[in-house]
Amino acid sequence: MQTSTTNSTTISSTAAAARVAAPERMTSSAIVLGVCMGSAVLLRFFLLAESWVTVLVLLACFAVALIAVQKRPAVEDRIVAAFSQCKPLAVCLGIVLALVFPWVLGGDSYAMHLMIIACLYAVLALALNFQLGSANIPNFATGASYGIGAYASALLAIHFGVSFWICLVVAAIVATIFGFLLGLPSMRTRDSYQALVTIAFGIVVHQLLMNFEWTGGANGLVGIPSPTFFGHSFNDPITLFGHSLPGQANFYYVAVALLGIAIVSAQRLHSSRVGLAWNALRDDEIAARACGINVTWFKVKAFAVDAFLAGFAGTVYAFYVSFISPDNFTFLVSVTIMTMVIAGGMDNTLGVIVGAFLLTMLPEKLRAFSDYRILFYGLVVIAFLIIRPRGIFPQRVRNHEH
Amino acid sequence: MYDALFQQLINWLTLGCIYSLLALGFSLLFGVLQVIHFSHGDVAMVAPFIALAAVQALAAAMGGSATWVVLALACLIAIAAVGGLGIALDRLVISRFRDAPAMMPLVATVALGIVIRELIRHLYPQGSNPHAFPAIAQGSIDTPFGALPMISVVSVLVSVALVALMLYVLHHTSMGMRIRAVSQDRETARLFSIAPGPVFRNTFFIASAVGAVGGIFLASYAGVVRFDFGVQAGLIGFSAAVVGGLGRLGGAIVGSLLIAAIETIVQGYVPNGTSYRLVFVFALVILVLIFRPAGLFGVQKMEKV
Repeated sequence: MQTSTTNSTTISSTAAAARVAAPERMTSSAIVLGVCMGSAVLLRFFLLAESWVTVLVLLACFAVALIAVQKRPAVEDRIVAAFSQCKPLAVCLGIVLALVFPWVLGGDSYAMHLMIIACLYAVLALALNFQLGSANIPNFATGASYGIGAYASALLAIHFGVSFWICLVVAAIVATIFGFLLGLPSMRTRDSYQALVTIAFGIVVHQLLMNFEWTGGANGLVGIPSPTFFGHSFNDPITLFGHSLPGQANFYYVAVALLGIAIVSAQRLHSSRVGLAWNALRDDEIAARACGINVTWFKVKAFAVDAFLAGFAGTVYAFYVSFISPDNFTFLVSVTIMTMVIAGGMDNTLGVIVGAFLLTMLPEKLRAFSDYRILFYGLVVIAFLIIRPRGIFPQRVRNHEH
Repeated sequence: MYDALFQQLINWLTLGCIYSLLALGFSLLFGVLQVIHFSHGDVAMVAPFIALAAVQALAAAMGGSATWVVLALACLIAIAAVGGLGIALDRLVISRFRDAPAMMPLVATVALGIVIRELIRHLYPQGSNPHAFPAIAQGSIDTPFGALPMISVVSVLVSVALVALMLYVLHHTSMGMRIRAVSQDRETARLFSIAPGPVFRNTFFIASAVGAVGGIFLASYAGVVRFDFGVQAGLIGFSAAVVGGLGRLGGAIVGSLLIAAIETIVQGYVPNGTSYRLVFVFALVILVLIFRPAGLFGVQKMEKV
């Protein structure tokens, strides 16, 4: 983290490009359009690719693009500048693409399923990013918060018939309370010791879910009712202009909305005083304390935000699959989420999302090597850490000129 | 009444000694490298698999059945091989993160653990099934309090001997002195022309080989070994090292005995305790770290601002 100390305090040179003439604005819009459409098309073909050869070719394209960017940092800077210039266009385009995306998948329900899971993992990774990326707090318990959210909503829905939308809020609050509980003891410890506290918490939660009778033990909870939205059951397909989408599309839109909320909160928090305080913590805890930052409070806050978003994701997951068991929320899940943050790019919203999508879909797309998927996964992680140790999209220089 | 207590005491001591073999590796590696070697448990659990294969190969080569000589020889081969594996992992992966932020090697070694487990699963014949592991010592000694299983005697004696040997090597040989110098201050050690490379290699060999002994004992104690046993072994070893205070070898031993004590008590005296075993163990870990944030014997590092 030594290198980032100097980076994060210098004012970005890209900010200077914010005030520009009209023709440049045109090229910027073109760049934004090109990048957004290009990635959407790439994603579509990647999701629908049947043979592993296609998958590898698409991956190679992605890798070539990355290498090109790495070789010529000016390209990356230009793209970032374009996006910051045409922010409204980028946001609208993103929303439109997200809404339209299910329709171009041609009713492939497996691709839809992958998208939902990827969105949920992206939310979890963004949640963890507040801690790992922004504040450098190792947290191996995101999977546990995810599980607490899922179990809380599932229990409410099964035993008390509470509706999905209320469960969403209640589960997030329950998860946050547990996040506080975890945050407080973690505050006294640091680094490896803190990592162990969170690991221990995750294992305790997993073991309790596994052994309590009212959580269904190892068998889990079955028969979580499908949610409804103004009379529209989530089991029914969405029909528009005579075309209909598979039933999963309902959950896709919920997951995308959740991801949208996560992105907005990540961006807002990052550019707020809280995000700045977290970055100060990451760079030097004692210096941050000396500057009057209440270190403990901000650390607990990071835990709470993480648990809150993870609780949301857990609820959506529970209602989506309608069956949960402790095996969905193991230590390995937390490690996976952590890997997404690190491979994608610490403290970089876009990077974290790309990392989550890539690491969720890649193992699924490599079914041809189905037995060797996990092995491959481990190797990819190690390769990433060695080849591009700061992630696919490294953390950007802070931009203070708004 | 006393018989049951005696059995529990034996169980506690055996488990505690085996855990300390694993915990010592974590502590030693952390002391020298300032890195948590998360795949240490998986590395240790490679040993029983190599030993099993070696027993079969040796027995076939000698044309006879597996005698205790064959078993001992196979174990020695496995221990040496796992020591080598430790060095190889350091050279291939871990050494690349020497100057990276601490989270990088942590995640890299977690991934390394996954790779090791999956390699066993796919490359070892019948790797995804549990394998029966022969008892390294059979029979038991009769005492006034009850039967004393030989395997416990051997585990405890070997563990104590190994720990003594390790402490002797660290404190009374030039190699040990170099290891301690590097663990205290890598830069200053370099100034005194201590090349860190060989020190890291030696440390990895010692830690992995000692862990391998722990792995073999654990497999022998359970009578069975599976490709994913390394996760739990690693977590317990790591917890023991942290509870004692990372980097403190004595602390690692005390931590192991403490964790083994909780396990034995919960298993023996709490109703339905076997399934709640890990809950109690990790609750203890959290409790200890709340009151002693650097472990029981850890020293809070002074930091210069």
